[in-house]
Formats: sequence, structure tokens, C-alpha cells
Amino acid sequence: MMTRKDAVAVLAEGRNGAISVGAMQAIMAWHAAGQGTADHLDALGCMGSASSLGLGIALARPQHKVIVLDGDGCLLMQLGSLVTVAAQAPTNFYHFIFENGRYETSGNQALPGYGRFDLCHLAAAAGYRRAVSVDDASALRRLLPEILASPGPVLIRLGIAPDEPVTPWPKVTMSEQIGALRARFLGDPVVAEAK
Amino acid sequence: MSEHGPVAMNHEHATASRNSLPGVTGPSRSPVLPIDARAVLAEIRAAHVTHVITVPDTHQRTLLALLARSESPKLITVCTEDEAIGINAGLYIGGARPMLLIQNNGLYACLNTLKAIPLDARVPTVMLIGEHGRTLSMPSREDPDRAVRMLEPTLELWGVPYYRLEGPGDLGCLQRGFTECLENGGPLAILIGAPLAAASGVRIL
Repeated sequence: MMTRKDAVAVLAEGRNGAISVGAMQAIMAWHAAGQGTADHLDALGCMGSASSLGLGIALARPQHKVIVLDGDGCLLMQLGSLVTVAAQAPTNFYHFIFENGRYETSGNQALPGYGRFDLCHLAAAAGYRRAVSVDDASALRRLLPEILASPGPVLIRLGIAPDEPVTPWPKVTMSEQIGALRARFLGDPVVAEAK
Repeated sequence: MSEHGPVAMNHEHATASRNSLPGVTGPSRSPVLPIDARAVLAEIRAAHVTHVITVPDTHQRTLLALLARSESPKLITVCTEDEAIGINAGLYIGGARPMLLIQNNGLYACLNTLKAIPLDARVPTVMLIGEHGRTLSMPSREDPDRAVRMLEPTLELWGVPYYRLEGPGDLGCLQRGFTECLENGGPLAILIGAPLAAASGVRIL
């Protein structure tokens, strides 16, 4: 089984210009991997909202791929979002779920029902175009280009083992990130029609 | 006392953080007057709204019926108000001009997300909020229904400016509020006091 850090390294390497939205523990690892750039947004203080933020961006910017770096506890907090994403069916939307069965941020408490639910089955039943389960970094490295080349929405469950703490919480605000990301989009002539 | 024309109420907290919306205090109108859903849709279109994100609301079902058969703005129905706020922010980031259409009960359901995205991150978030359960013959703060009675105090507590849409004369608040919200950032609520009147030819089930 891979660690979050292993998975993040592969995703950072294979991101290929995709817009990213991070949640909870993935935020720190993503920033530590140098990915907290102007193409990234952290879902801060709104556990469960990363996929909705990513969905909005994906709908507004269909020419850009959007990758959401979510947690299993986060997804369970707004599980209906799977249905909402599937209903909109954004072909540029890729939903990565780091699954360790824990509320890591609050002290590693166990998720309710861990071991009984199946995130891939939930996504498929909700209407995602595809759901993939990956438990090691080499498999993720092999599959990632093909996944990102295929139409979304795709849910990719990343089975991860406990990891060492990465870094302190990044010193960014959503407001700053949103301003930078929106400015980037508004400078893109493709978005002019939406202004 | 009743107010005529667009009414904005600002709590001191909201005024301090936004420093923009003109504030007029006072009780809401009674009785509340019906407004044609077509007139509300016209105002939404005049504000160049691109997307209406909704968890359906009974007061606004006639408007929802119009939106459902309209290509613009695009109607996005979601499962929770938390999702609606997140999608609104994502669309805004991408350059669109979205807004929310929800119910008073839904506002209570999404307070944490309201805190994080519209308030803390200052994302423009216009929310049409139906006052489900409101007794039309009395001011909202005197309503026996808790969801109705507590709505304005809740908005004030959280520093969310709001307008009341309680009669045809208030319709101008929609465009004005949308413009102000985009300029200032943060949330803005527009409270729908009475069920919107059905447009002729629209069958509401």
C-alpha cells in the first residue's frame, strides 16, 4: 500500500496542467510537493466542499481538466455530491479520494462503517462514468495518463497507509487563491464570453 | 410600519465588513404581495446571471418551472445547499455569473459552508431565499414559524446583508444586489416573502 506522499508525488508528476482543488490532509502534501500554485485552490474550512468547488470550475471551464484531491471522510460528509457531479457529467472532472478510513486531522478517529462501504461502488451507482481503485504508486503511475485522457467524471480511490505528518498548514487563504485563479481565467480569451 | 421599494437591511457587523450596502431598517411588509415569476426571471436575466443553482424551494417553484424550460440562465439542481455554495464559487472562479435559489431551511443547513466560502473567502454569493412557512399577513419577525422568524436575525448574526422581495415594487433589488455583491464580494440574501405567482401557461404539479 502507498502513502499519501507517494500518491501525491505521482499525481504531481502526471498533473499535466490540470487545475487542482485540495481538501484537508491532501492540502499539506500537495503544497509540500510544490503544487500549491496559481492553478490550485484549497477548500479551507468547508470539509466536503472540494468536489463542489471543482465541479463549478469544471463547468465554467470545460476546456481545462480539473482534479479534486479529496479525503474519504470529506466525501462522506457530502456524499450526495457524487450524485450532483454525475448529473452534470463534466467530462473534464477527475475525483481522487485518499482513503485511509480515518479522520486524520482531528486525531485519527475511525470513519463510520469503514470496511463496509465501497467508494467505487458508490460512485458508479451515483452515475460516475468510471470508478477506479488503486492501492500502490506504481499502478497509479501506470494508469494515470490513461485516466486523465479518458472522459470524466471519474472517481479514483487511492488506498493509502498511515503517513508521517508532512508540513505545517500552508499559509494561504482561499480568498487569495480564488483571486489568483479567477484572474488567470479572466485573462484567458476563451473565458471572455462568460464575462 | 411597512417599507416600500427595495429594502436593504444591514446589521452593524455587515456594515463594518462590507461598508457598502445602504441600510434601511424596519419590519418587513405585511401583508406580503405576490410577484409574477416571469418578472423575477426577467430581473435575473437583466443581471446577466449565467447559472441558477438550486435546492428547490416551494415559494419559488413557479420560477423554477420557468428556469427548467429555459436555456439561459442554466438551471443546476443539487442535493444540498453546501454543494450549491461550492459550485457557485467554482463557477465564479471560472468567470461565470451564478446565483443560488434556496429555502430558509436550507440556509440553516449550510452555515459552515456559508462561513468558509462566501464570508471568509469573500466569494460573491447571491442567494434567493424563499421564506417557507411564512404567514403573509404579518411581519416575518412575528411569524409563529421559527424558520421564518429566525431568518433575518440569523443573517444579521452572521453579517449577511439582505434585501426583502415582498412586492412588485421591490424587484429592482435583484439587479442592484447582484451588482453590489460582485463589487463587494461576500454573500447577499434576497428574501422571497410570498409564493411567486404562476406565469400563465405554466402548469405547476
